[in-house]
Amino acid sequence: MTPPPAEPVAALIRPPPVARDSQVNRDLLRVMDGVSVGYFGVLALALGFMFAAGGVWIYQVYKGLGIAGYAHPIFWGSYIVTFVFWVGIAHAGTLISAILYLFRAKWRNAINRSAEAMTVFAVLTAAQFLGIHVGRIWKSYFILPYPNQRALWVNFKSPLLWDTFAITTYATISIVFFYVGLIPDLAIARDRSTGWRRALYTVLSLGWEGTSRQWKSHNRTVLHLSGLATPLVLSVHSVVSWDFAMSIVPTWHATIFAPYFVAGAIFSGFAMVLTMMIPVRRIYGLEHIITDYHFENMSRFLLLTSLIVGYAYCAEYFIAWYSGVEAEQTSFWSRAFGPYWISTWVMISCNAIFPQILWFKKARTHVPTLFVLSVLINIGMWFERYVIIIGGLSREYDPAVWGTYTPQWTELIIVAGSFGFFCQFFLMFLKVFPVVAIAEVKEIEIHARAHGEGH
Amino acid sequence: MSEIDRREFLKIVGVGAGAAAAAGCYRYSELPEKLIPYVIQDEEIIPGLPVIYASTCQECSAGCGVHVRTRESRPIKLEGNPQHPINRGSLCARGQAGIGRTYHPDRYVGPLQRGSDGAFAKTTWDDAQHTVAARIAAAQGKVAVLGAPTGPALSRLIDAWLAAVGGGSRVVYEPFAREALREATSAVFGVASEPIFDLEGCDLVIDFGADSVGGSGRSPVEHARQLMAARDVAKEEGRASRLVYVGPRLDETASVADEWLPAKPGSEGVLALAVARVAFETRSKGAPGSEASLQGVLAGFSPESAAERTGVSADAIRRLGRAVAAAKKAVALPPGVALTSRRAVATNAAVLVLDVVAGAVGTSLHIPPATETRVASFRDAVKLIDAMKSGDVKVLLVHGGANPVHTLPPDSGFTAALEKVGTVVSFASLPDETSERAHFVLPDHTPLESWGDAAPRPGVRSLVQPTIRPLFDTQALGDSLLGIARAMGDGVAGSLPAGSFRGVVESAWSGTSLRAALERGGEFGEGSYASPSLSASLARIEWREPQLEGEGEFVLLPVPSPLLGDGSGAHLPWLQETPDPITKITWQSWAEISERAAASLGVRPGDVLKVETPFGSLEVPVWPRGGIRDDVIAVAIGQGHTVGRYAAVQTPDGSSAPRGVNVISVLPSLTDEAGGRAWLAAKARVRAAGRFERLPFTQETDDKRGRMLGEAISLVALAEGGPSPWAPNQAAAVVDHGTPITGAAAAATPLGEVAPGEHAGEGDKHHEPEILRAYDAVADSLPTDPFRWGMTIDVDRCTGCSACVVACSIENNVPIVGETQVKRARIMSWLRIERYVGTGEPTLQPARPGPQNHEELGKTDVRNSPMLCQHCGAAPCEPVCPVLATYHSPSGLNGMIYNRCIGTRYCSNNCPYKVRRFNWYDYQIETWPQPQPLMLNPDVTVRAQGVMEKCTFCIQRIQAGRLLAKTEGNATPADGAVKTACQQTCPTGAIHFGNLKDEKSEVREAAAQGAGRAYHALHDLNTRPAITYLARVRREGEDHSA
Repeated sequence: MTPPPAEPVAALIRPPPVARDSQVNRDLLRVMDGVSVGYFGVLALALGFMFAAGGVWIYQVYKGLGIAGYAHPIFWGSYIVTFVFWVGIAHAGTLISAILYLFRAKWRNAINRSAEAMTVFAVLTAAQFLGIHVGRIWKSYFILPYPNQRALWVNFKSPLLWDTFAITTYATISIVFFYVGLIPDLAIARDRSTGWRRALYTVLSLGWEGTSRQWKSHNRTVLHLSGLATPLVLSVHSVVSWDFAMSIVPTWHATIFAPYFVAGAIFSGFAMVLTMMIPVRRIYGLEHIITDYHFENMSRFLLLTSLIVGYAYCAEYFIAWYSGVEAEQTSFWSRAFGPYWISTWVMISCNAIFPQILWFKKARTHVPTLFVLSVLINIGMWFERYVIIIGGLSREYDPAVWGTYTPQWTELIIVAGSFGFFCQFFLMFLKVFPVVAIAEVKEIEIHARAHGEGH
Repeated sequence: MSEIDRREFLKIVGVGAGAAAAAGCYRYSELPEKLIPYVIQDEEIIPGLPVIYASTCQECSAGCGVHVRTRESRPIKLEGNPQHPINRGSLCARGQAGIGRTYHPDRYVGPLQRGSDGAFAKTTWDDAQHTVAARIAAAQGKVAVLGAPTGPALSRLIDAWLAAVGGGSRVVYEPFAREALREATSAVFGVASEPIFDLEGCDLVIDFGADSVGGSGRSPVEHARQLMAARDVAKEEGRASRLVYVGPRLDETASVADEWLPAKPGSEGVLALAVARVAFETRSKGAPGSEASLQGVLAGFSPESAAERTGVSADAIRRLGRAVAAAKKAVALPPGVALTSRRAVATNAAVLVLDVVAGAVGTSLHIPPATETRVASFRDAVKLIDAMKSGDVKVLLVHGGANPVHTLPPDSGFTAALEKVGTVVSFASLPDETSERAHFVLPDHTPLESWGDAAPRPGVRSLVQPTIRPLFDTQALGDSLLGIARAMGDGVAGSLPAGSFRGVVESAWSGTSLRAALERGGEFGEGSYASPSLSASLARIEWREPQLEGEGEFVLLPVPSPLLGDGSGAHLPWLQETPDPITKITWQSWAEISERAAASLGVRPGDVLKVETPFGSLEVPVWPRGGIRDDVIAVAIGQGHTVGRYAAVQTPDGSSAPRGVNVISVLPSLTDEAGGRAWLAAKARVRAAGRFERLPFTQETDDKRGRMLGEAISLVALAEGGPSPWAPNQAAAVVDHGTPITGAAAAATPLGEVAPGEHAGEGDKHHEPEILRAYDAVADSLPTDPFRWGMTIDVDRCTGCSACVVACSIENNVPIVGETQVKRARIMSWLRIERYVGTGEPTLQPARPGPQNHEELGKTDVRNSPMLCQHCGAAPCEPVCPVLATYHSPSGLNGMIYNRCIGTRYCSNNCPYKVRRFNWYDYQIETWPQPQPLMLNPDVTVRAQGVMEKCTFCIQRIQAGRLLAKTEGNATPADGAVKTACQQTCPTGAIHFGNLKDEKSEVREAAAQGAGRAYHALHDLNTRPAITYLARVRREGEDHSA
C-alpha cells in the first residue's frame, strides 16, 4: 500500500489496513450497546469519587478553605495544581483534531473523537477548580465583566482574568468542534438505533443525510473551526502559564513558561489519550481500528514533547545560574534538594527520563509499556505543576516567611474526585456517542481503496 | 510625644462624679439584644467619636499611664498616656493586651460558693459576704490575706480591714519581687528601697542580665525609650553611647547591645567588681581621694582572677573598666529574675558598687527614701505556708490575680497547705489554678471597671478609673472587703470608711484636684531621692558565686517570658499568639540550649528533652540556639497552666491539659541571703526523651541570605557621611552583600527627591536599569491628592518587644487563630517582627529542613525588622487581582476592599514581603467568643471567611484625622495628628508615620536624618515601597566568644 502522494504528513505514515465499512459501523456502534457489570463497577467508582469530592467541597464552602493544606505563604495548592493538570490534559484533543487535521495527518482519525471528548471533559474538570479554589465561591461571579449598577469593573491586567476568558473560550470551541465532528456519526447511530436513542440522535444529528452538499459544508466548517482552534491550542496554556510567569515569584517569572507549558500540556494530553484508549481498545476489541500504528505515532509525539519539557527543565536551571539572581538560585536549589525534592525527582524521572525508552521501536509498539509509561507521565505532569507552584511559593524573597505545604486528605479527595468527575463523563460518552469518528475512519478506508493496491 | 495635642485633649473627658452613676443599672449579661439609638443624647458621647479616659496599666508593677479609648461606652483600645512620666505615651505588648481581661470569655460572672458536692454554685453577693463574714468572725484572727501588690489606697484599706476584723497576717505576694535588690541597696547604701534607674543620656549602660528593654525588665517601656533616645545615632552623643550586656543568653536586650559578655551564670557580681576595680584604678590615677571601703571590697577582684571565675576574658574586663572610667554618664543595671541566685544580694550589691564607681548614684541611679515596704519577702510566704499547714490560718483571702498554686514551687507545699485552710476566698476575676481551689469566689472588677491608684515612684501618683460599667455581676475588691466588714456588724465596720471603695480612693486624693488628676491620669511631679553614701555594712557582704542544687551538667535558667510575665499573661490570647521576640515561638514552652549541646545530645529543634532537677522533672521540646552558653538550659516562666481557655489546652472531651510546662515545678523553694526567692538555684540533668513535638514557631530561619531586609551599617561607615549605601542610585556600589562602600562620589540624594541627573542626564542614564535610579515615592499618589502616606522604621531602635504587633491586632480586629493554626502558618498578624542574625550568606546549602539559627556566642548582630504592608508605589499585588479588590488609592495607599475580594489569593503570591493574610475560616465566629466581640474596633471591618486582609496603615485613623481636620476648618490634619497603632505604642519611637508630600513632616525628617542608612526592603524588585527602613548601626565592639 503506498501513501497518498498529495499529503505530506500522511506521506510519512503508512495508513493501516481498515476493515470494511459495514464492519466499521458495526464494530464502533457495538461499543455503545449494552452495559456490563464491569462498566457499572467502574462508573460507580468514578461517581463515588465524584460525590465524595462534592461532599468535601460542600464542607469546605461551609467551613472555609482552612480544611485544605494551605500554609502561609503557599496560598495556591493542590487545587491550582490539578487545575493546570486538567487544562494540560485538554490539549491533546484540539491538537489532534485541529492541528493534525490542518496537517492532513489522516492517522488521527482513529483517535480524534475520544481525544476531543477528553478535551471537553478535561476543560470542564479544570473549570471546577477555579470555583473550588477561590475563597468565596458565592461571589466568584465578580470575575465576569457584567454591567452593573455600581459600575464595578474587572481588572483586565490580571492574568487570572485572561485565564477565565481563555478557559471559557477554549471550552466553547472544544464543545463546538466536538459536536460538529459528531454530526455524521450521530446520523449513522440514528439510523441504527431505536427508542430514546433514536429520538436523541435525531435531534442531535440535525437532519444529516450524508449528501455531498452536507459533506461539503461539514468539511468546510471543520476546516474553519480547525483554523480557529489551532491558535487556541497554543494560547490557552500560554495564558495559564502567565498566571505564573506574570508574577514576580522566583522560578515563576520566566519567559520560557508559555512554550514550556504548551509542550507539557500536549505531552500530558497525549499521555492521557493513551491511558484512556489502551483499555478502551482492549475491552471493546477495537484493535483493528485503533492500531499499534496509532499508538506508535502518539509515542513519537510523546518523545518529542518529552524532549521539549526536558529541555525546559534544564533551561530553567541554566537561567537561574546564569542570571545571578540569588533568590532564583535559592529557590531552584530548594526545588531539587529542599523539602520538595521527591516531587521534583518524580517529575524529572517521569517526564524527561522514562520517556526516552520511546527511542526504541520495541517500546513504541509494546502496548503494556506504553500504558505504564503514559500513567507515569500523567503522574509526572501532576508533580511538575506541584513542584512549580508549591516549590516556587515556598522559597520566596523573604526568608523569614519561607514555608512548607502538605496537602490534606480533604483536598486529596477533591483531587481524586476530579478524576472521578472526568471518568464518569468519559464512561457515559462511551455509551452515548461513537467512540471513534466512524465517518472519518471510513473516509480513510475509502481513500485506501481508491489509491491502494490489492483490493 | 511628650505633649498632648489639642485634638487628643479635646477627646479626653474626665469622668465627673455623675457620669458613671447616671448610666443606669443594667449589666452586659442582661442587655437586650437590640440596637437602640439614644433617646436623649449623652452629652459626652458622640456616636463615632472615641471618648478617652486616663487610667493606669495594671499588667505589671511598672505603673505606666494609659489612655483608655472607648467607643459608645466600651473600651476598645489601650494607649499610653503621653503625659505620664514613666511611659510617655507608649505601652508594651502586655499593656496593650491588658484590655482583653475585661472581655475575657472565662470571666467569673458572679459570686460563687463551693457546694457540698465540691462544685461551684452561684450565690448572691449578700449571701456570700455574710457567709464569709461569719467564717472570719469564727476564725478569731486566724485570717490571712495573700495578694499581688496593690495601689496605696487599696493597700491601706486592706491593712485597716485586717485590723478591724480581728487581725491576721498579710503577705503581698509578687513572684518577681526584687527583694535582693532592696536588700543590696540596704547593704551598700543603708537605705532599704529599690533604686530607680534612669538611662536618659547615658553613654555607657551595662546590663547585668536585667533584660532592661525586654518585656521582662523592671520598667521596659521607660528603659527602652531612654536607652534608645540615648543611642540616637543622629546625635554625636548617641553615636558614642554603648550598651554592654552581661548574661548567659542572647535575650532582647543582648540583641540590641553593642557587646555581649556571656559570663557564667551567677558570676555577674564578680565581673561587676572586677570591672569596678579597673574603672576605680583608672579613674583614681587622675582623681585621688577614692574611698577606702571600696578599695577593700575591690581588692580581691583582679581582671585575671575574674576572667577565670566568669569566663569573660581579662582584656574585655579591662576594656570595659576603662570605658566605665571614661564614660560621662554610665550606669550598671542589676540582674533580673533569671539571674537571681542564692547569692543575689551579693550580686546586686556588686553591681551597685560598680554604679558607685561609675558615678551613677544621683545621676542615673536614684534611691527613693526607704518606705514601709509592702512586698513581702519569699520567706514571709514560706512562713504563711507553714501557718496554713499547722492550721493557724482558718480563712485565706487571695486577691489581685495572685496565683501562688502556679507560681510557687511544689516543694513549698502551698497547694497541700491550701487544703488545710477551712475557707479560701478568691477575688480573682479570671479563673486560675488558685481560684479553682477556693471555697468562695468573689470576683473582682477588672482594672478597666475599677477605681484605684498607683504610686510607682516618688513624685508620681497615678489613678485608675472605671471606663465601662461592669460587664458582669462582679464587685471591686475594696467594696467586697467593706461589704464583709459590714456583714460582721457595726463593731467591725465602724472603724472602716463608710461608703464605697471609690470614696476611699477619692479621699486618698483629697488634697488634690481629683478632676484635674483624672483628666491627666494622676499627679506627676518630681520625686525627692535620698543621696546616700556607702554603708559600712558593705564590708560584711560575702562575695561568692552561688552553689546550685543538683548534679546536672546544665544550669537551669528560668527566664521570665517577655510576653506572659509570671504567667498572668498566659490568659490573654494576644500574648499567647504573639511570637516570642527571640525564638518566634507562640503558644508553647520550649527549652533553649546551645547548638553544641544539642548536637552532643543528638536532638534537633522540637525533639523533646527530659529535664531533671532534684526537685522534679519535666519534658519540653528543645530549641537549639547559637546565642546561649553551652552549660545553660533556659526555659521560660509563664506557661504550664491547667486552667483557662487560652492558658491551658482545651481537649475535645472538654477537659483541659497543661499548655507547655511550668518550669517553676522543677525549681526549689530556696532563698537568697536575705530571704528573697532564688530562681537561679538548680542544675539540671538533660537527656532526649525520644519524642518530637512540632513547635508553633513563625519564623524558620534567621538567615537573610544577604537580601535587602534588616540591614546594618557600621558606625565608621555611617560617620564618614555620604549617601546610604542602599540608596537607589547607589545600588551598584553595594558589594559583598551589605558591606557598604562609603565616600562614593555621588551626591547625597535626600529621600523622596529626584536624584540629580535623573532628568538632566536622561540621555546617558537611560541605559541603566530603572531600579538603579532613585525614585520619587511622592509620585506614587495622585498629583491632586494632598497625601502620600508613608512610614520610616528605624531598625536600630527596634528591640523586638512586639508591642506594635499586639497594638495592631487589637486596633484592627485581627483574629487569634490558636496553636494548631499557627503550626500551619496561618497566624493572622498584619505586622510581624522579623529577626535576622547577621548578613547571611547567599550560599546554596544542602537542604536542612527545620529551623535554622545563626546566632553565635558573644555576637550581637541581630536585626529586628518590623515587616508590614509596604504600601508599594508599584505594588505587585495590585495588577494581579482579577476583581480589583486591591487597588491603589489616590493617597498612594494600597487599599483592600474586603467586600470585593473573592479570594483567589494571587495578591499574596505576588507580594514579595508576604504581608497578606487570608481568612481560612470564619474567624468572626471561631475566635471571638462572647463577650469578646464587645472590644472589636467599630471602625474596622471584621473580615469574612475567604477574603484577604493586610495592614492598611490604620486607614480608619487616617480617615478620622482627615475628617477632624475638615471639621476644624483645616485642609489636612497637622503632621503627627494621625498615628498608626504600631507607631503610637512603640516605646522607642522606631516608627514614624506621616504624609510624604509634606516636606517638613516627621516621617520625612526621620528619613532625612537617617539618609546615610536608609534603604527600602527588597529594593531591587522595584516595588517602590512607602516604608523607608533605617539600618541598624553596628557600633564597634568586639566579639567575646567564651
